[in-house]
Amino acid sequence: MQLTDTGESRVNGYLFVLERSLKTFLPGDVVRDAVREIESHLRERIAAAGAAPNEREVLEKILAELGPPLRVAQAYSAERTIDEAVATGRFVPMIRAIWHLAVSTVAGFFAAIGLMFGYLVGVGSIAVAVIKPFFPENAGIQFVHGVPVGFAAQFPVKPGIDLRGGYWVIPLALAFGLAVLVATHRAGRRYLAWWRERRLS
Amino acid sequence: MSHETWQEQLRRGSLDLAILLTVSSGPRYGLAIIQHLEAFTDLVVTEGTIYPILGRLTREGLLDARWVEGEAPHPRKYYRLTPLGAKRLEHMTREWRAFAEKIARLIDAARRDDHAAH
Repeated sequence: MQLTDTGESRVNGYLFVLERSLKTFLPGDVVRDAVREIESHLRERIAAAGAAPNEREVLEKILAELGPPLRVAQAYSAERTIDEAVATGRFVPMIRAIWHLAVSTVAGFFAAIGLMFGYLVGVGSIAVAVIKPFFPENAGIQFVHGVPVGFAAQFPVKPGIDLRGGYWVIPLALAFGLAVLVATHRAGRRYLAWWRERRLS
Repeated sequence: MSHETWQEQLRRGSLDLAILLTVSSGPRYGLAIIQHLEAFTDLVVTEGTIYPILGRLTREGLLDARWVEGEAPHPRKYYRLTPLGAKRLEHMTREWRAFAEKIARLIDAARRDDHAAH
């Protein structure tokens, strides 16, 4: 079947949405290869359809059998990003996989919030350790009503904010930050591995 | 667990084996794999979701993929089984047969007990 301009626009529109969706999760070269393969599938199906009196009907049937572009993109993301994150444990694939789960499932959304909180606390504590030598009065352990609540830095320090601690805060904040980051990362990897197992089972 | 969920899990669990079996006789491109699966099984519900699985099997080293141009008006991506994939397929086939035989024996035993009870 030779497509009319309308038919070509429909195919290109499908591929455009697919590409845009895949770009959210996957690296450029993987996206290009995936879109090329899906286009090959579509062109093959269209060519095999022969001369059809109703192009639109045939084309919509082909696209329906292939699946909505968002669903296809989601399947790519699930296979690719989560596998890569679990296998390598690298930061960027982990973030991609967590983002994927956060936008696809309710449980994933709340898990992502928890993990992001962990990462922020870890990075924040390390930042306090880095800032402390340059601004000793602005970084330290924050006390509320005499109780330590965490590492903090403020510019300028607001009245009523109780920041304490000498340079000994640096190794403490570093150790705490790294420990929180490692624990959060491991928890994230375990969650993704559990999610993947559940999906495959 | 609903019947549909059980069917879906069964389908997902057997899709890797079905794909490896499909390319075991020689290289095939994506649509040819889908058509082969559709001819023998009802494992393909949404065609587009087969491609990510092919990608994963390729990343795992079970399949080898390469683009072929000039064979058709559009390029085709062919998949073939790697030596690692052949070994995995042999293992999966053996396990599948053993599993299916055990379940079949269980079904037969349940039916015999049912007949005896009535």
